[in-house]
Amino acid sequence: MKKIKIFAVLGIILAAPVFIAADHIDAPGVAGSSADIADFYAFEPTEGSDNTVFIVDVQSNVLPDLTYGAFDEDVLIEINIDLDGDLVEDRVIQAIPRDGIMYFFGPFSPSSTGLSSQIDTNNALGSVEISSATAITTTTASGVSLFAGPRQDAFYFDFIRFNEVIAPSPSDNSGFNVPGTDTFDGANTLSIALEIPNSLLGNPTATNVLGIPVYKTWITTNRKQ
Amino acid sequence: MKIYNTKFLFATLCASFLIVGCSNDDDNITGTPPPAGVDFSGTFSQVDHMGRPGINTVLSGSADIKNMHNTTIPSNMQATFQAAFEAQLEGLHDAYAVALGFTAADVDYQPNILGDILNGPQPTSEDNPNIVSAAVLTTVLSNDVLEVAPGFPTTYFNGGSGAPNFDGAVGLTGRKLQDDVIDISLILLFGGETGARFNGEGGLPQLVTDGVSLTAGNISTSFPYIGAPE
Repeated sequence: MKKIKIFAVLGIILAAPVFIAADHIDAPGVAGSSADIADFYAFEPTEGSDNTVFIVDVQSNVLPDLTYGAFDEDVLIEINIDLDGDLVEDRVIQAIPRDGIMYFFGPFSPSSTGLSSQIDTNNALGSVEISSATAITTTTASGVSLFAGPRQDAFYFDFIRFNEVIAPSPSDNSGFNVPGTDTFDGANTLSIALEIPNSLLGNPTATNVLGIPVYKTWITTNRKQ
Repeated sequence: MKIYNTKFLFATLCASFLIVGCSNDDDNITGTPPPAGVDFSGTFSQVDHMGRPGINTVLSGSADIKNMHNTTIPSNMQATFQAAFEAQLEGLHDAYAVALGFTAADVDYQPNILGDILNGPQPTSEDNPNIVSAAVLTTVLSNDVLEVAPGFPTTYFNGGSGAPNFDGAVGLTGRKLQDDVIDISLILLFGGETGARFNGEGGLPQLVTDGVSLTAGNISTSFPYIGAPE
């Protein structure tokens, strides 16, 4: 009985259209739109740095016919940061373009959390001209570096083979090819990047499973209603 | 019984900081305000979400689940998606069982190297079981957030010296541009206790690497780090 149920689930997988990791074109509701998140990175820029870097990629030209090339003024990007491990955002950073400029707000403690947002204009962080091929960056008085513009998609994955791998058959049951082919080689994406002092984010009390204090972070895109 | 106890211990570990109160101090900083007359009014509704790479793509088994995942707040994700993620993980193992000429019941997810690492220096055994069952792994992954450790070197995951001792294993401290997140995900989903369970040898499929490495040659060591477009 259990197996029948699982195969029913699997049947749905096999019948579904093709979707791509990391978050590129991940779901039909948003795939290929100007609000489609492509990727999210968060890292310490150099060992011992007191800053954290966040990079958010939206849109991608990895496949033809996807929306790519310009940030949408109706799409608000949010970086959410949970400090205490309850998976509810304690700090939010917002970014939205207006007339060739990317405006950033926060980090601020949101007065309400959830799926609906308004821009907190009382907590302006700064702004940066949206770059073309050459990066234009700004550093605010509070020490936050800002960037927005087209970039090389750093993600790598043999997604063509992946979509065959998840649907094995007796005649094709060997899994991935080694070497494979990086589907994202040559693709570009639209990035925003921030490098921000940790002191502006707060001290996390959450930890990962290895006991190390961590920010629990996620990004969202939000469309104007 | 012990497995269940340790499983819940692990889940508790993941959620244990729920009890710590939310800080009220607002270290808000106000930078240069935008020019007057630029309109930022309106209400914005969430359409896409991302925490860890590939979670929605690999573990959401239908278009409806994928769409729902993008508009579910993280604190509701475990209750909403854990069971479906576990079914998807076992379903993929069953699909390979059948494709290889076995029955679905012959091949199940095997607890992975993360459980070996959490077990510490004592070898995994009946008395010291690997707690990262399919339920535990999909519980952790269903909470789709990216953890980043301030003041700590960023490593998505590194098994150190590998099985059986995993000396120097580190990870879950963020995601760098260079990290091979797909291979790491495949190892945790399909690699079993050695990380190499389905490694393409002995007539078994290759499910622990997609066989590609970083091709983006423009990554920089200075801000904004991600490289110029091609």
